[in-house]
Amino acid sequence: MTTTSTTKPLIEMRDVRKSFGTYDVLNGIALDVREGGVVCIIGPSGSGKSTILRCINGLIPVNSGTIRVGDFAVEAMKTDRELIALRHQVAMVFQQYNLFPHRTVMQNLTMAPIQVLKENPADVRERALKLLAKVRLTGKEDAYPSQLSGGQQQRVAIARALAMQPRVILFDEVTAALDPEMVSEVLNVIRDLAGEGMTCVLVTHEMRFAQEVADEVFFTDRGVIVERGPPKQLFQSPNDPRLKDFLDKVL
Amino acid sequence: MNLDFSWLADPYYQYWLLRGLGTTILMSVLGLVLMMVIGIAGALIIHLRVPVLATWTTLFVEMFRNTPPLVQLFFLYFMLSEMGLTLTDPATGQRIPIFSGFTCAVLSLGLYNGALAIEIIRSGLLAVPSQTVEGARSLGYSRVQTFRYIELPIGLRLSMPAMTNNVVSLIKTSNQAALVAVADIMYTATQIMLENFRNLEVMIFVWVVYVALSSLAVVAMRYIDRLIRIPGYGAVA
Ligand SMILES: Nc1ncnc2c1ncn2[C@@H]1O[C@H](COP(=O)(O)OP(=O)(O)OP(=O)(O)O)[C@@H](O)[C@H]1O
Ligand SMILES: [Mg+2]
Repeated sequence: MTTTSTTKPLIEMRDVRKSFGTYDVLNGIALDVREGGVVCIIGPSGSGKSTILRCINGLIPVNSGTIRVGDFAVEAMKTDRELIALRHQVAMVFQQYNLFPHRTVMQNLTMAPIQVLKENPADVRERALKLLAKVRLTGKEDAYPSQLSGGQQQRVAIARALAMQPRVILFDEVTAALDPEMVSEVLNVIRDLAGEGMTCVLVTHEMRFAQEVADEVFFTDRGVIVERGPPKQLFQSPNDPRLKDFLDKVL
Repeated sequence: MNLDFSWLADPYYQYWLLRGLGTTILMSVLGLVLMMVIGIAGALIIHLRVPVLATWTTLFVEMFRNTPPLVQLFFLYFMLSEMGLTLTDPATGQRIPIFSGFTCAVLSLGLYNGALAIEIIRSGLLAVPSQTVEGARSLGYSRVQTFRYIELPIGLRLSMPAMTNNVVSLIKTSNQAALVAVADIMYTATQIMLENFRNLEVMIFVWVVYVALSSLAVVAMRYIDRLIRIPGYGAVA
């Protein structure tokens, strides 16, 4: 599979730069994701992977460059209303789940569609039940997040993202905080989503999984995309010495 | 020592004491409501860094929590009547202050303990994990919505222990209303002492009343804390 598709990509980042104070985190990121594509971002710790995801859904503003998601010019967004419209399309799942601890599993799924998107509560609940079945958590509707295992919480977080009916989901090292035996239950859910054609951008340290699900892999180091390509090519015949080095360490 | 509590059997004193107790409770309840309104509104303003208002709120907090509540009560009481805020009683034609001693006492309790409540709620808000807030932001919650649906409900829960102390402090401080002639339990007790000279017994009685009121408040707060506790959610970070 290659990215030479005729249609316009769903996400397009061009020369994106971001610094925190005097510290340059992103030094000209270019990245694109086609609709239905699965893209993995790999790279050493501190190379700016999380920052790329946070820029895509407008959680942090960029210094320069352009980010387009669908018809939205993310870099130009200012008001809450614009950002809400963007986040309706771009959902995010975090390493630490970031669930609402004071609300039940069911409420975690339904709150944002009802309170932010102003959808009909009955419809949202119906959809939420289906999503819980999909992430294999039927019966946990009334549990609170802290009563669940890490793997279960992360699946709730994925279902919560899906409840927004987004066009793309950003996953930021969603298995990194999990005990090894729970990693696969979460990866299975993501694999299903990818198979159904959901557009996914994954920051991950699970190289085998990246190789299996990704259409394209981006390797970042010190705020730039050093190398990109289909997973086979990137993992089996890396060009850049930094990527070779990285793969030696993690594989 | 020879304690004599027989005066407590006097229906006249009983009536007085009950009226006084009622006033103390009413003053405390109104003060608590005002305290919570000020506490939540002030915490919101400072937390969201509302321009101009945030500076004023911080100034308010510093002014009120660093001065004796009695000074604040006297200040309110004398300043407001000094400012000539009076109205004419239609029945007698007399000019009476708009702010009665009772109103001043409630205001002063609400302001003083409200200033403390702002700080208590703010520290609760700061203890809400940043990941939880980021989760809300990523779902499209605006800053105000995040405050209302996520930070405040969690932050208030985390501030319950400190808030319990503040509630008890408000009930105890309410007795200074006696000094601006509000007939609370303290005031009536003093009046009774002037009549029966049973100073020690009357003060023992007042002591017991305040212990009872404070304990009741603590029990009530514990009950609320248990009601709103998040199942399985650990202690304050
Ligand atoms: N809000 C912030 N303020 C200051 N520095 C930040 C902020 N967020 C991130 N950084 C810094 O930016 C750099 C890149 O961070 P980022 O989280 O994007 O890296 P990462 O590739 O996701 O790393 P990891 O694999 O450890 O998650 C790091 O050095 C980090 O300390
Ligand atoms: Mg990261």
